[in-house]
Amino acid sequence: MSDRNNGFFARTALISAAALLLSPLGALAQSATAPANSSQSTTSASKDRWLHVRVISSDAKGETVRVNVPLELAEKILPAINKERLHNGKVKIDDAHVNDVDLRALVEAIRTTKDGEFVTVQSNDCDVRVAKQSNHLIVHVLDKENSKKSEVEIKVPMKVIDALFSAGKDELDLVAALHALSAQGDTELVSVKDHENTVRVWLDSKNVTD
Amino acid sequence: MMLLAKAVLGLGSTIVLAGAYTFREGVLRIDVDEYRSGGSHVHLWVPAAAVPMAMHFVPSQHMRHVSAQAREAMPILHAFVKELKKYPDADFVEIIDSDQHVRMRTRDGKLQIDVDAPDQKVHVLCPLSTIEDVTRQIEEQAPGA
Repeated sequence: MSDRNNGFFARTALISAAALLLSPLGALAQSATAPANSSQSTTSASKDRWLHVRVISSDAKGETVRVNVPLELAEKILPAINKERLHNGKVKIDDAHVNDVDLRALVEAIRTTKDGEFVTVQSNDCDVRVAKQSNHLIVHVLDKENSKKSEVEIKVPMKVIDALFSAGKDELDLVAALHALSAQGDTELVSVKDHENTVRVWLDSKNVTD
Repeated sequence: MMLLAKAVLGLGSTIVLAGAYTFREGVLRIDVDEYRSGGSHVHLWVPAAAVPMAMHFVPSQHMRHVSAQAREAMPILHAFVKELKKYPDADFVEIIDSDQHVRMRTRDGKLQIDVDAPDQKVHVLCPLSTIEDVTRQIEEQAPGA
């Protein structure tokens, strides 16, 4: 190999070594800055179902809370939590009676009943409506007391309620309910509005609220 | 000259391979600033792959103690991290009020927790795979594991 070639090879080797040495620093810099630059990356697989909770307070502090939970994540984590009444994704209730109401029998009765209004109360203080409509249990409460109106609307698919009560006696199967919920289309489950706070709980396929 | 070039190339390649291995999982970054007298200011950048390696040097009695303390939380943490890896870019929790901003999200397979308050700022960025490795090592130290 000639001297000229030797010099060329040596320079090439030195440049290559320098480039190789510096390349991890570039990667490190990228990894350090990437989170700041990709703050708006919000896509997710369309099959994922997300449960969203949003609380907006209009008081002086103007607090906003946004929680986004993939249903699949909740389904997998719940069975891992074994604390007090929660075991294997099921909540133990003392018995299926609350204030002498047999919840299981009540659910079974609602499930087998045709669509209709079960409870309608209209007074100066509040309006209450409980109904079954398009396979959804709907509860609507309008509190008119003290001129500060508050409104609560709950809309739960009957399949979710069925799944919730599908466990053994004296148990609520939260995982089964979440699984049933994931099969539902985009839907608003809970809406609460009063003079200070707005609360929304809903289900869709997006991993962001806004 | 030729010999020096070969030596530099060999050394360079070795350092690059070691660097690539060390930084393959990114960087664990912790920034804590407390704005009060005597408040701490911690700024830590560590190659994420080094954390599970460093844990091998922690005395086993300490690891067993940690494992026993975290026994109840470990299955939850393990399931949580395993599931989080399926959502590498997602916002999970955000709380904003007039003077505070708390955020938990994943970006590029890293868990990012940011707390911005008037009296303190905390920013944690940790690859999910590192949390998984650490969780596994702690679980392995559990009595009867």
